[in-house]
Amino acid sequence: MNIISNFITMNGYGLYVWLSFSIVFISCAAVYLKTKKTLKKYEQEFLSELQALNVEEKNKALENSKIAQQILATSSKTS
Amino acid sequence: MFKFFSATNIYLLIHKLIKFINSIFFLILVIGLTFALVLSPPDYLQGDAVRIMYVHVPSAWIGLACFSVITFLSVLNFIFKIKNFYFINKSIAPIGLLFTWLAIVTGSLWGQPTWGTWWAWDARLTSMLALMLFYIFYILTFKLLNNEVLIIKITSIIAIVGSINLPIIKYSVEWWTTLHQPASIKITGSSSIHSEMLMPLMVMLLVFLLYAALIFLMKYKTEIIRIKKKNIKRN
Repeated sequence: MNIISNFITMNGYGLYVWLSFSIVFISCAAVYLKTKKTLKKYEQEFLSELQALNVEEKNKALENSKIAQQILATSSKTS
Repeated sequence: MFKFFSATNIYLLIHKLIKFINSIFFLILVIGLTFALVLSPPDYLQGDAVRIMYVHVPSAWIGLACFSVITFLSVLNFIFKIKNFYFINKSIAPIGLLFTWLAIVTGSLWGQPTWGTWWAWDARLTSMLALMLFYIFYILTFKLLNNEVLIIKITSIIAIVGSINLPIIKYSVEWWTTLHQPASIKITGSSSIHSEMLMPLMVMLLVFLLYAALIFLMKYKTEIIRIKKKNIKRN
């Protein structure tokens, strides 16, 4: 019990230590989630534009761009 | 050799790297936090407040390293006009800002129990604040302007002017009398930090580097998709 209490209070420095680690964790998590959301948004927009092309244009785009193939493959895996 | 650095190969490599970092990140994070919060000893003077070092120091190092890379690539881009560097810098800058901000905030939280104040306008703290302002101006240039040529010019000037601040940050604790302690870890010469504290610090640095790499790769991937989206009908 004493060990847990010492771990939480950090001998009087708990507020500063836990606040520091929490701010770092929350900030990093927020940036990660925002970056991931933006990436997904652009992938979706790219796919929407690809779907909007006619069959010939779409096939040509897929044939000439491995990146387009990759986005299509990863999005179909995740969806 | 140059074919390897094509957008397609880079994109495929980024995809694999993101997967790899995601697979090892949490394991290294748990190891790092266990060392930083449980296994590493308290300092003989600062007690457990020293644990803030494990997030403060890597943040400051990465904040400085990001600006150094931005400056280096800006100079190269200014001379050789390599467009890829523009996208790399655009992806690195928010990471540098995040870590510089974290270094300032955690430094403030470390300062209160050890110095008795949250903030002092001394050389190290003020020069770190100046670095954060350079990052803000740098990122705002991308957000507010549309002309790519103008953006490259302005961001290169900000990076080159801002780079003058980097040696000031590094040597501020030697050139002036500051509240901030001198460097405990030296690349050349002997470090004054004990190995029981150095090891957790290095593990936490690895955690932060992996996180920074992950965010960079995701942002860079977004930039590639944005360009491909523009050119989709031209393919």
